Amino acid sequence: MPTPPLTAGFAAQLAQDLGPDDVRMILSVFRADLTRLDGELHEAAAAQDATAFRRAAHGLAGAAGAVGAAELEAACRAAMARTGADMMGPDLAAIHGLAEASLDDLATYVARLDGGPHG
Amino acid sequence: MADIPQAHARVLVVEDTPTQAELARVMLTSLGHEVRVIETAAMALEVARSWQPDAILVDIELPDYNGFELMKQLHAEGVESAVVVVTANGSINTAVEAMRLGAVDFIVKPFPKARLAVTLANALEKRALVAQLRTVRARLDRDRFFGFIGASPPMQAAYRTIESVAASKASVFITGESGTGKELAAEAVHKASPRAGRAFIALNCGAIPRDLLESEVFGHVKGAFTGATSDREGAAKAADGGTLFLDEIGEMPLEMQVKLLRFVQTGTFSPVGSSRVEKVDVRFVCATNRDPMQDVQAGRFREDLYYRLYVVPVMLPPLRDRGGDILLIARHFLQLFSREENRRFTGFAPEAERALMAYPWPGNVRQLQNVVRNVVVLHDGDLVDAAMLPPPVVMPGTHPPPAVAAPSPPPTDAFTPPAPFLPAEPPPADPPPVGPAPWAEPEIVPLAEMERRLILAALKHTTHDVPRAAALLQINPSTIYRKLQSWKANGLVPAD
Repeated sequence: MPTPPLTAGFAAQLAQDLGPDDVRMILSVFRADLTRLDGELHEAAAAQDATAFRRAAHGLAGAAGAVGAAELEAACRAAMARTGADMMGPDLAAIHGLAEASLDDLATYVARLDGGPHG
Repeated sequence: MADIPQAHARVLVVEDTPTQAELARVMLTSLGHEVRVIETAAMALEVARSWQPDAILVDIELPDYNGFELMKQLHAEGVESAVVVVTANGSINTAVEAMRLGAVDFIVKPFPKARLAVTLANALEKRALVAQLRTVRARLDRDRFFGFIGASPPMQAAYRTIESVAASKASVFITGESGTGKELAAEAVHKASPRAGRAFIALNCGAIPRDLLESEVFGHVKGAFTGATSDREGAAKAADGGTLFLDEIGEMPLEMQVKLLRFVQTGTFSPVGSSRVEKVDVRFVCATNRDPMQDVQAGRFREDLYYRLYVVPVMLPPLRDRGGDILLIARHFLQLFSREENRRFTGFAPEAERALMAYPWPGNVRQLQNVVRNVVVLHDGDLVDAAMLPPPVVMPGTHPPPAVAAPSPPPTDAFTPPAPFLPAEPPPADPPPVGPAPWAEPEIVPLAEMERRLILAALKHTTHDVPRAAALLQINPSTIYRKLQSWKANGLVPAD
């Protein structure tokens, strides 16, 4: 069974630990991180800047790991070792796809929080 | 989940990923902690120095340098916060490296609030235990306590008693042979107490003429007795809010003991010649070199007063029971007197140390002080060798029975001759008062002879305590040592 982009179990745990308001706030920070870091990752890859690429991939991995987006985190950690032309390889597209899926998942999750009992 | 109860702590989060940083901040704040979030290792170091957090959560990958390097720097600067490493990599290597560099624990991302709470609580508890252990070790190992020098177990016990009783108002009764530091102990009780900022008044009951003792303690009003030309405040009033130290309490006349008992019971007294009742707040510390219970049984000390004053006993051990303290103290005096006398001594030769350790020191610390002063005044060099030590320290045949063969004798009425420099003369059973005596026309003799008589009389009066004799005569102790050496050489006093 494929792993959901945002680990539902962990998100539910977060909601239980923090309450809906704090989860909303954390998820909005996560959304901003994803958007910013995905952009930085693409810019670094286009510029063939390995240092900036690694830093952006590390940041994405950290943000994804914090909210339990395990697949996105794993993809970002794998990309951290890429250099040169490899930076523009399939990892980049996969990361972007997982980030988009995480944001969609996030929107659904937040809507559920707003709409009724969470979890 | 029910939150684990946590003591409020300052927690520094070192994390450059906003999602992770915010998550940690929200969780820690909801646990009741004060939180600061920093993105770089360099900033974290600055905040750790200035804010002194109780715990630091450190991410391994930071923009400027990694978390391990930050931990090295925190350790090098003596920052004592409990460090918890936050890592995405739960490998054994990461954990081992984190612990090797002083981390208390590590936590793998993502973590639920409960895991963070437990990890942090354990880290803070461990930090508190380490701090407690350090404090206890420092207490057990300390070789100085207020004016005392000594790390031996019996002195550690005395320090602990003094510390424990200091905060209360309970009366303290100090016992110990002559020269063991009873007045130092009394001062330590005062200095460690909340009364430290107020007066410490010491009164030697054995050195004050019977007729004057009541006036010394309670004061008098003008005309109370012949010579009372004005009102005079006594020790009780002077010690108000502070500590009144009654040394040689066993020498206090019975009639004065009755008045002291009333004062101890009520905190009130009347100055001699006055019916005015004054109330003061005084903490009593008493001392004697005798067994106070023996004095009670012999009828020399009132039982009711004994039980009023003997609330917390502090027993000061004789020097012969203090093992390595002998050398600690000897080195201290050697350094002190060498500086005063402009000598080069830096220590004792091994043979001299053995001699000091073997001697039973019947005069205790005071005698050791005299011996070291004698050596410093009469000799010079880098090391004190055994030949420089005066007899009987270097003459084993003349030693009193060693403590190992015979346990410390109980304090008795008998004077223990402390100093080896003069022929042993029994002290007067009832020492003459220190206070002014009626002036009689002196016999006219050569000035040098008068000087010799006066110095010998001062030594006799102070039971051969050279520094005290020198203080009474207002001369330097080294003058007395030099005179004694010269008189011995010329046969004016018997040789040792």
